Amino acid sequence: MPADDAIIALIQAGRVGEAFERLMPAYRRRVFGLAYSLLRDRGAAEDVAQEVFVKLWQVLPRYDGRAQLSTWIYAITRNTSISAMRKRRRPLSLSDPLVFEEAESRGASPSAEPSDGALWREVDALPDKQRQAVTLYYQEERTVEEVAAMMGLPVNTVKTHLHRARASLAAALAAAGREVA
Amino acid sequence: MNVDDRLRRLLGGLDAGPGFEARVMERVAGLAAAAPREDLRAQFERRRALLRRRLLREAWMSSITILGLGACGGALLWRYASEIQQFATNSGQSVDPNLLIGGTAAVVGTALWFLIRRARG
Repeated sequence: MPADDAIIALIQAGRVGEAFERLMPAYRRRVFGLAYSLLRDRGAAEDVAQEVFVKLWQVLPRYDGRAQLSTWIYAITRNTSISAMRKRRRPLSLSDPLVFEEAESRGASPSAEPSDGALWREVDALPDKQRQAVTLYYQEERTVEEVAAMMGLPVNTVKTHLHRARASLAAALAAAGREVA
Repeated sequence: MNVDDRLRRLLGGLDAGPGFEARVMERVAGLAAAAPREDLRAQFERRRALLRRRLLREAWMSSITILGLGACGGALLWRYASEIQQFATNSGQSVDPNLLIGGTAAVVGTALWFLIRRARG
């Protein structure tokens, strides 16, 4: 990734502050998306994303280039998210009020189509890995390879998760559409 | 609209809230302000630990040196005991005993002074 090359060059030149200023806009959505796909809660995901960037600021001078920058950042994000999940007692839901309201407000759905809120619920009901793959894939038009790197899974496994998720969402929406009609 | 398009529409806007980067920079600035103090403290602790290790190592070396010299001296005395005894007997007869005692004290004192000075570094 060209942005990564520039960031790495700055780190190696000892200009860590500048590197961090470039890194945050480049990775903000990806870090937030990955945290969100794991935590299913916007507020918690934002807290984790903040924590990740603060950690990155602290450890950036020690980045030695052995792992890819993105792989390194995704690993930090996954670990921070998992720690946050362990700290939380109650089970999380994608249908946290903020997201749900947003989805419902967007869901001025055409006559026979279930609302976006219904789609959120279906996404929420997917198995963990399928839900995570769908969230990351559609968040920013990513490639399957990038989603695989973010999830730390093989590409073919991610393809399978995406395929199954799409199939079950299509089936669920078709059933809901028949009910609405 | 198919599932792909609907998911794109639904998840495409997913991003951190406004002011996210400013909040991170604020936290980072707070940490940066505290960092020099932390650095100094860490530096002091590191130096103190190094010094402690160096002193411990030197104390061990001094002990080993003293023990080694003592052992060598003992071995020499044991090996040449009869010669020393003969020399002392002959010296006692020909040399002034006060001079002999003074000379022995001077040799022992010089050795001790050397060892103490070395131990103090």
